[in-house]
Amino acid sequence: MYSRYGSADPVPHRMNLLRRAAKSARYMALPALGAAIAAIVSSMSRVAGPLVIREGVDKGIIPQDTSVITNVALIFGGILVAQYVSTRITLYMVAWLGERFMMDLRNQVYSHVLRMDMAFFGRTKTGVLVSRLTADIESLQVFATEGVISVVGSTLMVTGVSVALFVIDPFLAMIVMLLMPILVAISIHFGRRSGQAYRQVRSQVGRVLGALQENISGVREVQANAQELRQEERFGAIDQTYYQKGMAAAKTVVRYFPQVDTLRVVGLVLVLFIGGNRVLDGEMSLGSMIAFLLYLNWFFEPIVQLANIYNLLQGALAALYKLYGLMDEEPAIQEALETTPLAPEVDGRIRVDMLTFGYSPDEPIITDLDLSIPSGQRVAVVGATGSGKSTLVRLIARFYDPQTGGVSLDGIDLRKLSFADLRRAVALVPQEGFLFEDSLRFNLSFGRGEMTDDEVWEACRAMGIAEWVESLPEGLDTPMRERGNRLSSGERQLVALARALAVDPAIVILDEATSNLDPGTESQIEDALESLLAGRTSIVVAHRLRTARRADRVLVMEGGRVVEDGTYDDLAGSDGHFAELIRTWESPEQRV
Amino acid sequence: MGYRDHWSDMWTGLRLIVSGVKRYPRMTVIAVMGALTWMVVTIISPYLQKLVVDDAVEGNQPNLLLPLVLLVLLVGLIRASSIAWRRWNAFKLSYRFEVHLRGRIFSAIQRLGFDYHDHASAGELMARSSTDVTQVRLIFMMLPITVANLITMAMVGVMAFVLDPVLGMVAAITLPAMIVFAALYSRQAIGISFQVQQALAGMSRLTQEGISGIAVTKAFGREAREARKAQGVATDIFDKSMSLARFRSVYLPWLELLPTLTTLGALWLGGLRVASGEMTIGDLVAFTQYLVILYFPLRMTGWFFAELPRASAAAARIVQLLQTPPSVTSPDAPRPLGPGGGEIRFDRVSFSYNGVEVLSDLDLSIPAGSSVALFGATGCGKTTLAQLIPRFYDPQAGSISVDGTDVRELHLTDLRREVAVAFEEPFLFSATIAENIGFGTPHAERSEIVGAARIADADEFIRKLPEGYDTVVGERGITLSGGQRQRVALARAIVGNPRILILDDATSAVDAITEAHIHAELVEMMRGRTTIVIAHRTSTLLLADRIILLEDGRVLAFGEHQELWDNVPRYRQLLAEASPAR
Ligand SMILES: Nc1ncnc2c1ncn2[C@@H]1O[C@H](COP(=O)(O)OP(=O)(O)OP(=O)(O)O)[C@@H](O)[C@H]1O
Ligand SMILES: Nc1ncnc2c1ncn2[C@@H]1O[C@H](COP(=O)(O)OP(=O)(O)OP(=O)(O)O)[C@@H](O)[C@H]1O
Ligand SMILES: [Mg+2]
Ligand SMILES: [Mg+2]
Repeated sequence: MYSRYGSADPVPHRMNLLRRAAKSARYMALPALGAAIAAIVSSMSRVAGPLVIREGVDKGIIPQDTSVITNVALIFGGILVAQYVSTRITLYMVAWLGERFMMDLRNQVYSHVLRMDMAFFGRTKTGVLVSRLTADIESLQVFATEGVISVVGSTLMVTGVSVALFVIDPFLAMIVMLLMPILVAISIHFGRRSGQAYRQVRSQVGRVLGALQENISGVREVQANAQELRQEERFGAIDQTYYQKGMAAAKTVVRYFPQVDTLRVVGLVLVLFIGGNRVLDGEMSLGSMIAFLLYLNWFFEPIVQLANIYNLLQGALAALYKLYGLMDEEPAIQEALETTPLAPEVDGRIRVDMLTFGYSPDEPIITDLDLSIPSGQRVAVVGATGSGKSTLVRLIARFYDPQTGGVSLDGIDLRKLSFADLRRAVALVPQEGFLFEDSLRFNLSFGRGEMTDDEVWEACRAMGIAEWVESLPEGLDTPMRERGNRLSSGERQLVALARALAVDPAIVILDEATSNLDPGTESQIEDALESLLAGRTSIVVAHRLRTARRADRVLVMEGGRVVEDGTYDDLAGSDGHFAELIRTWESPEQRV
Repeated sequence: MGYRDHWSDMWTGLRLIVSGVKRYPRMTVIAVMGALTWMVVTIISPYLQKLVVDDAVEGNQPNLLLPLVLLVLLVGLIRASSIAWRRWNAFKLSYRFEVHLRGRIFSAIQRLGFDYHDHASAGELMARSSTDVTQVRLIFMMLPITVANLITMAMVGVMAFVLDPVLGMVAAITLPAMIVFAALYSRQAIGISFQVQQALAGMSRLTQEGISGIAVTKAFGREAREARKAQGVATDIFDKSMSLARFRSVYLPWLELLPTLTTLGALWLGGLRVASGEMTIGDLVAFTQYLVILYFPLRMTGWFFAELPRASAAAARIVQLLQTPPSVTSPDAPRPLGPGGGEIRFDRVSFSYNGVEVLSDLDLSIPAGSSVALFGATGCGKTTLAQLIPRFYDPQAGSISVDGTDVRELHLTDLRREVAVAFEEPFLFSATIAENIGFGTPHAERSEIVGAARIADADEFIRKLPEGYDTVVGERGITLSGGQRQRVALARAIVGNPRILILDDATSAVDAITEAHIHAELVEMMRGRTTIVIAHRTSTLLLADRIILLEDGRVLAFGEHQELWDNVPRYRQLLAEASPAR
């Protein structure tokens, strides 16, 4: 039972973790040294207090020497000043060190996450990443600031007090020290147990918040299906587990402190009884006994604190472990060390060469695909749902790297291009037009970064949505809610389109970017698109015939392969898939 | 400042906290009793120590030593068990209250209508149920011990006077000063740490948004700018944390020093008095011990009173959420939905979002069992109109009835069970496919789920998934293609066998051939129930018997395709644009 805690520990190489953390913080070595010195002075001055009091009792109060009493009080005052100054310096310096470390860590981890590839985001929950950057780093923060002070302070305290006890009366000190192993043993036991219990509480809190988050995002679906009661029951069950875990953790705390208290009483009784006898026998002074009584508290407190810190330390190590684990995960999509520059004038030729890809390597979605798109061509991609259209365009925009084969742009393999060149050349409007919880202006200018209002309006006009934006009560300042909830779905798509076209890329990829538009609006923006797409290479995934009709070339996909490839008229004339598609499309019209 | 501490808010919040006490009266009393016992024995202990020092050791009475020491042991053991007693009850009390409160918040969130959620930020709602609730719990946990602390301090004050009036005076001056100092300190510190909290919340918001929108960020290569934004937030956290650290480093040592200073003062004054024989040395020991004992309750009490306004503000925010009336509720005496085939009537309905009118004075009557298509320009109000039927919103004027009963007279559960909607952008829960399809009908058999999936033409692809119907889809269903997602949602809408079926652009991401399959099956499905299809494609429009052309918030035309084609120029114009022949 006992040893299981050790093996269940999620932190295999504590020392390695700490060493790595220390290494990354090496540039702060000097301030750290200063903080350590201040901490030592602070603890020493605290330990000195009762020693001085003993002098006062034995040499001042008992012999009734008032001048000694006053002198001792003055010395005590001086010690207090030293204590104040050194504590103040320690607190500030340690906080600075910790906060600085956290700040760097936040920046490093977030930049790293942003560099990760889309496959990574497919398999990692948003909530988990958010908690790495918030809860995990914060748990580190408590340790790095208060925890470090306590560890250093408490260790120094225990050492100092032990020394002082031996100086005052070695015999009594020996006896009190006998309690030490018991105290340390129950403290370690407590540290492990409660550490494990609180870990479970924390992960249950994560579950509670996750369930909550999903229910808030999906609240419309819940209400539409009249499932409020059942969702409440489910959530209640999760929260009930949280209650149980919380109480299990409380149990460890509730057990530990009475145990410490009992030990403390035993210590007290020993000092009173043995010490009392020794004073009576004249082997020890009364002042020593009083100093002993005072020290006794200080002896227990730091060890209790260390047990609590042990928890923090474990939490911090677990957090470090997770964070470093995340940092060690290399993005599957990386910029080449030596990139080939793209000409300033991008031609827009695309070649897909014997490409095979699957989201998991053993389940290929696209197999052995060959494709060549000359500069300026307009290609429509059609095909059944799930046939791999979105997957293909994601590969062309290098959201994923293929398992075999490759994609090249103007004759350069995508993997050799710098990210800046790639994004300058290719703009993809994904199937789900995500809008950020910010103003309409922010969302429209997102692709370019900074845009003046004039430029934003220009883009709106080009897209034919200026009038609509003007009609909004708050115009460009209209706030978007979660994923753009307050717009109609067509309006959302228009915003996403305008955002992409403001970038002025050589290659435009639209993945069903107009599927929610009515025919009227679509034909309206079609004219806008026509001029915007002119002279660019474009790949348009769509389920509508009219889109295919306008394209120079149509690709029909099925099961991850291009099964037909040709102009609209060629394909319509042959007796293939596309012809069937057209028949399906047109059949209702024939009923007219 | 982000938090208000107006008196009325405070009062509302306090009432919520007090309501917790009333909810668990027994546990509260037990916890307070435990705390009091603990305090009493804690106070007796130094007095016994004084007896040991004065009477046994100083007074040279060795035979008194053992009994007195045993008494110390006994009192110590009582203290140890009472601390366990107190803590256990305080934990239990506060965790129970936390879970209870969060349950109420959860249910409030679930009941607040679409209009509320259109404006509420998810982050805010999360904060209500996490940080705010936790804050209330902490203060609640401290409540029993604070009551005991207050009583104790009064008692210790009396004891100090009994021991020595002069030293009692020292205590009477310094102790309240310490409470005030601790309270002032905590108040300030809490104010600054609130700002730190806000900065940290900024990080949470930023990462949440940034990661949700990562595909867009990557599509435009804006990673560097996102990273810069994060740098700003991280620096903000650092600055705020450092101003907290500066404050703490100045005042925290004082908090430690003050009791020591008091001890010093007591020892010096007391030492002089012992020296002059006005006081025994044991009294002095006991007195200094009291100061040490009091140190902790003093700080805790100070902390409690400083934290109270913030916890009350948090509680007030919770109360505000709990008291927000849902705009759409079931009537007190709902009428049962009589038999019928799903006839729908709109009677002079006007609807606006925050003053922007979308539907005006709209009349419409859809006969039972018929199928209609809603057609019109982007943003003309099709979704809005459809959402009024299951009462996702209530119109500002006019009324809507289903099978002759005003929808406002029906129980929401009855109504929504009979009206199923497949949304434009379906939300999938990160659960198995089967759970997602059966979401609205928890008792559905597997065969019914498979049947619905078949109609939605989803059965085939679901079977190909690694675990078939038991495959867990990723967050929001991202491991499915757009069309696959829509078909799962479609299956979910039809599995409950509703009287009225609303398909809001539910096949926009589905290719024509699959759509044709779905339509063939749907026609079967649509027989005997009223169906409203919102669509932009001609093929989908023609699925319906009749077509409603919506424009400027009104029904511009309603009739069969041929009829509209012949008589309504606007319809012809819109459709002509849709035709591929041009
Ligand atoms: N929750 C909301 N809050 C405020 N305004 C809204 C909200 N939902 C929609 N609107 C506005 O009301 C109008 C009608 O929206 P609605 O979603 O009903 O349009 P729609 O006809 O379904 O369009 P689409 O074909 O694009 O889906 C739009 O102008 C939209 O911006
Ligand atoms: N992120 C992902 N992880 C794992 N599998 C995925 C992921 N995205 C898509 N798939 C699977 O890959 C296959 C092809 O999906 P893709 O999105 O390319 O289809 P599509 O042709 O775009 O379909 P639609 O027309 O419905 O959008 C589908 O079977 C889908 O379930
Ligand atoms: Mg797709
Ligand atoms: Mg709509």
